[in-house]
Amino acid sequence: MIKTASSIYLPLQDISRWVADPIGKIVQEAFKNISSKEIIEEIRLRVNQPIAVRTDKKDYFLPIKTLAGNKEQTYIVTKEDLVTSLEKMTFSSIYAAEEKLRQGFLTLPGGHRVGLAGETVVEFGRIKTLKNISALNIRLARQCEVEVSGLLVSLMNKNKNFCHTLLVSPPRAGKTTILRLLIRHLSNGLPQIGLEGQVVGVVDERSEIAGMCQGIPAFDLGCRTDVLDCCPKALGINMLIRTMSPAVVAVDELGGAEDIAAVKDAIRCGVKVLATVHADSLEELKKREHIKELLTNNAFERVVVLSRAYGPGTIEGIYDLNSGINLRPIKKELPFAKSNSCC
Amino acid sequence: MLIVGYLVVILGCGFLGLFKAAQIKKRPKEIREMINALSLLDTEIFWGVTPLPEAFAIIKDRVDSPWKEFFGRLEEKINKGESASKAWITSIAEEQKNASLHAEDWKIIESIGKSLGRADKNEEHKHLELGQKHLTTLYEKTRNQADLKAKMWSYLGFLAGSAIAIVIM
Repeated sequence: MIKTASSIYLPLQDISRWVADPIGKIVQEAFKNISSKEIIEEIRLRVNQPIAVRTDKKDYFLPIKTLAGNKEQTYIVTKEDLVTSLEKMTFSSIYAAEEKLRQGFLTLPGGHRVGLAGETVVEFGRIKTLKNISALNIRLARQCEVEVSGLLVSLMNKNKNFCHTLLVSPPRAGKTTILRLLIRHLSNGLPQIGLEGQVVGVVDERSEIAGMCQGIPAFDLGCRTDVLDCCPKALGINMLIRTMSPAVVAVDELGGAEDIAAVKDAIRCGVKVLATVHADSLEELKKREHIKELLTNNAFERVVVLSRAYGPGTIEGIYDLNSGINLRPIKKELPFAKSNSCC
Repeated sequence: MLIVGYLVVILGCGFLGLFKAAQIKKRPKEIREMINALSLLDTEIFWGVTPLPEAFAIIKDRVDSPWKEFFGRLEEKINKGESASKAWITSIAEEQKNASLHAEDWKIIESIGKSLGRADKNEEHKHLELGQKHLTTLYEKTRNQADLKAKMWSYLGFLAGSAIAIVIM
């Protein structure tokens, strides 16, 4: 079932709850003026600059009616606006968000992520905190309903067991959305393809997969899913295996040697792994220092390469690494790419 | 019958005096409750790193009126997006009529809310400690005064009643 962009937005009408009052009013007005065919992806607030809204089609500076260039009427974001917005986003508890400030992002209820830029305070080579915030980037979350049973069939072996799978994609090609959908279906099961529900453990290092806010997930990841929020992947994978007995462990954006070692341990323990990695193609991936070990040793059995060729969610290929065959040689988009309803 | 009437006057005035004495004793009691509440808030912020709405929800269950309602209002306002300092001031304005505190008491309590929510936990801790210190000094002063005044009003009520009864006689 595919929903339209407007119906699957998490509450945009509440945007004024999270930003300074003048900005909230201007943004609300702008949302009414932006075509419903465009998907609003980001709201950016930068000190001494106009408010910027980015859709999948273009960028706007607010208020929109002054786009013709009447600078006197453009609202310029002040430092106090950013401080007030940050105060609202942290429920007036900036002291409680110190760890998040150190990492450079917050998550709002509904899974919206707020990226922060400002002056870093560095101690012993590590970022201690962020102060004098100069920019906020509010990335609006959307939950997509997309048919992925066809994709899942390709990711299962002859015994109807899920294979170790790596999703490969450049930025904004839908890998996190597809990851969420796969997690949910693995957790709930899909009787129509003979997939039984299983316990899935998710290590959500940057709160992007589940969109946790104060312990409440914004996205539905299934009824048998356990989430470790804000935990480094290497530590989280081992912890989940020891404590939650998952059948599948899911992580986003595999990176360094520690992540790879933890994935190898998981595979040795008999746990299936579902992971994503940033890359444009399988060939580029094979050149990556740590990842190529997992590919050459056939630790991963399936690799799904995504792109934005026909919009987010375009499947460039589904590779069976054991046989070397591309199970989906014809480039094909997932249904959501045409509707432009998801990132 | 007359004797009953005189007794009614004496006892009526006596109870009025006792009521006034009870009201006077409320002030130090409420200051003491606020000190306890601030101590809890300090613990939640410094050790628990608990966000303010959650901290206020915990505190409101552990204090009596009028602070129960005060912290309940604070929790609600901050959850709706109001800044902590503004919510503190407006909640004081709304609860003032339900409390027995004087203007100088409210002045100290108002100052506690001024920097709430914008600083790191060490700053919040120092600020709350200072607020508790001021309130403790105020509490000592008002407790002594309140004891004396309450005693005075307790006797005054019955004495006034007796005087009225004598005059009527």
